[in-house]
Amino acid sequence: MLTGLDPALLTRVLSRALRRGGDFADVFFENRLTQTFRLQDGQIREASSTVLRGAGVRVVLGQRAGYAYSDDLDEAALFRAAEAASLIARDGREHDVAVELASASAPALYEAHADEPADSARYVDLLARADVAARAFDPRVVSVNAFVTDELQYVQIASSDGRVVTDRRPLVALGVQVVARDGAQRENGYLGDGGRTSIDVYDVKTPESIARESARIATTKLGAREAPAGEMPVVIGAGGGGVLLHEAVGHGLEADFNRKGTSLYSGRVGERVASDLVTIYDDGDLPGERGTVAVDDEGTPGQHKVLVENGILRGYMQDRLNARLMGVASTGSGRRESFRVLPQPRMCNTYMPAGESTAEEIVASIERGLYATSFSGGQVEISKGDFVFMIAEGYLIEGGKITAPVRGATLVGNGPDAMTKVTMVGSDGRLANRSYTCGKGGQRVPVGVGIPTVKLASCTVGGTGRG
Amino acid sequence: MGDPRDEAFALAEVAIALIAEAGASDADATVTIADRFACEARDDEVTKLERSRGRGLHVRAFVGNRRSTLSTSDLSREGIAELAKRVVAAAAFVGEDSHAGLPDAVDSDGVCDHDLFTVSPDVAERADEDKIDEALAMERAIREADVRIANSDGSRVRDALVSWALVNTRGFRGVTQGSQVSRAAAPVALDGESKRIGHYGTAARGWENAESAEAVALHAVHRALALVGARKPATMRVPVIFERDAAAAVLDDLFAALSAANVAIGNSWLADRAGERVGNERVTIVDDGRLRGGLGTSPFDGEGVPTRETVAIRNGMLETYLSDTYWGRRLGMASTGNASGGGVGANNLYLVPGTGTLDDLVSTTERGVLVLDTIGFATEYASGVYSRGARGIYIEDGAPRYAVDEFTIASTFEEMLRNVDGIAGDLRFDGTIVSPSFRVAEMTVSGT
Repeated sequence: MLTGLDPALLTRVLSRALRRGGDFADVFFENRLTQTFRLQDGQIREASSTVLRGAGVRVVLGQRAGYAYSDDLDEAALFRAAEAASLIARDGREHDVAVELASASAPALYEAHADEPADSARYVDLLARADVAARAFDPRVVSVNAFVTDELQYVQIASSDGRVVTDRRPLVALGVQVVARDGAQRENGYLGDGGRTSIDVYDVKTPESIARESARIATTKLGAREAPAGEMPVVIGAGGGGVLLHEAVGHGLEADFNRKGTSLYSGRVGERVASDLVTIYDDGDLPGERGTVAVDDEGTPGQHKVLVENGILRGYMQDRLNARLMGVASTGSGRRESFRVLPQPRMCNTYMPAGESTAEEIVASIERGLYATSFSGGQVEISKGDFVFMIAEGYLIEGGKITAPVRGATLVGNGPDAMTKVTMVGSDGRLANRSYTCGKGGQRVPVGVGIPTVKLASCTVGGTGRG
Repeated sequence: MGDPRDEAFALAEVAIALIAEAGASDADATVTIADRFACEARDDEVTKLERSRGRGLHVRAFVGNRRSTLSTSDLSREGIAELAKRVVAAAAFVGEDSHAGLPDAVDSDGVCDHDLFTVSPDVAERADEDKIDEALAMERAIREADVRIANSDGSRVRDALVSWALVNTRGFRGVTQGSQVSRAAAPVALDGESKRIGHYGTAARGWENAESAEAVALHAVHRALALVGARKPATMRVPVIFERDAAAAVLDDLFAALSAANVAIGNSWLADRAGERVGNERVTIVDDGRLRGGLGTSPFDGEGVPTRETVAIRNGMLETYLSDTYWGRRLGMASTGNASGGGVGANNLYLVPGTGTLDDLVSTTERGVLVLDTIGFATEYASGVYSRGARGIYIEDGAPRYAVDEFTIASTFEEMLRNVDGIAGDLRFDGTIVSPSFRVAEMTVSGT
């Protein structure tokens, strides 16, 4: 079922793409099947199957990129795409370009996944179990929505420098959203988990455990106070708190912003950008993780990257176009949402390794502050680094102890500033549940995040409470 | 290549036949064919050039009242047939749902006959070279506008002609077309050691009605410079003015709460509130699917229901939710013609404008904040709690004093709608969810 385009055809398409010039050209082919089931109010409401199949042709010349794609895969359609992409390099001359392709294979970094989705009964059973567990958790649970999705993406990337690489990427996710109600007050909770694996993963990460955790978040907020407003010390919870690194630092280290000089981190490799407790990695090669790419969408192997080491900026995340212009090698960070769009430098699994403090010591060091267990989302502005995080679950810290839950809190701050205010790092570093998706320039890709418990000496909490 | 409308229609007919053959008792098929062009310039160089025709098929199949859907970019007959079999087989695992099904029979004759000005002929007529020159001109305009503009993330000019056909097993046959153009700029201003990027973009059905390239470039420059020297404001409770684009982001969140899909599952602060007061008399929110030349205008919605004008909130009273057929049935209401992409979507949703200008709102504010831009997105539709990061201008004695950033604004949506005390007349239909600038009498600003 999963086969790519004929290498001889790819050779002809690449030659055609480069006939007006260009540093290199590539063809990205994908064939992706996604099967999803959705449950709501105790019933499976919908099954959906999605096929994404097509090829994109890119021509790169310096900082220029020409691009065209086609869902029609015959030679004439691919030649039309090559022709359209080649217009970026119009220099008046006709080139004869010979391309030879040799096959390379991607490293094995994903857990086993069959060519076809599993029996539908298995997905339905997972959702039914999640529903029962969420409702049993608390009588105030009034609505349960859950989905399970199972995807297999086959990609084939051929580049005019002579490589044709294939990769076969599984991706599963199961998410449970719970609404809890008490009188007029409604609160929601959400948790998802999965990874680059098969649905067998839910034998271990059971749907019951995911559903109960989601119900716990929703019902906890029912008793929550309004979040405080103003500057105070903030503890970032282990795991999901890693969204902080993703937004506050990660995006600013993507090579496109730095090559163009629009990021605040531009030209600062080797400089101190954070407190010496801060080390940040981005790994494309962690087995089974959601953000892992055995090869990226340009055919470069995913790899371990040191972004920040003991507070010193070490390097950026590179795709091919930006790496060429900056005179370095690609770091396997060229990713794209589908064959319809150009690749961009993107994060894979971004995390901070463990430090030395215990979570208890960190909380005990704070007289009055906020404990942000997890975030439901975040956003950053690249040029100055201002960020916002929506807190999914948070608590007041009073007298060195976690006291009451709060609702409706956001954190706002400035990435580089926040990184200088990291004063304690926990020994409990871990990756979060595998449920994060990152958006950039309208393209969404799966990513991983992780962090130990971390103390920010000061951050602005945006709530409505006056206390 | 022939008329893409004919191709879309023919493919939809093929898909319906194949899905029926696979065993579906009812179905609808939507085929979209989009011809898109995009270019980007940075400094004096054309940095991106994209042109493609993208096609997609979306089918909703019903086996009795069990629903199953397919989406595919593989429009070969074999590809559709194979997926159709898969989808019908999966439907057996879906629960019975008495609300699931096609809309009650709609007579499609005449539905597409009204010209709603969704296609602007100047889109097909304009040469690519001309659009590329325009992107380069925008780059020159932002560099020349101010010495503090030191860089650019690129200026973009795009257009698209989208044809789509909808066919169902109950006899609906519709085909329509829409054009769209957009211009965007992202200049970077130096601010001491720091940088400020200003984003501004506009969209329209055609070049003739779109904001000019120069206006877009200058507006983006204005945004970058407006925030130079920004500091963190004090924590306080003050009036907050939402400038047009920031106001549209609030409407975006209000749409989610008005969507029957969220209301029916209790994931909306507006659930169980129909007929009640949820804002003051100044607040009227309308969705108009037939707005002449609107970016969300179409003769029929995603499942073939004729579009219409719907007043969701009239003078502060919640009159109706916005719905497609399925969620409407769940709530005991008729579709409002808001089916979109398999769910509920806005057509042209807007807050009815008042009179006066943004400057009038500022000059009548003793002490407050003008919000130019919010960051963050909603997750709290159920509770109705609102909290966003913001950037803007601090106002004192009716005049702008200095730029502020790294703060949040917070309230609840209901308090905001009850506290709207001024709405400007600066509404523009440059998106599908738009708003004039407005002021909320009191919100929590969290800074230092």
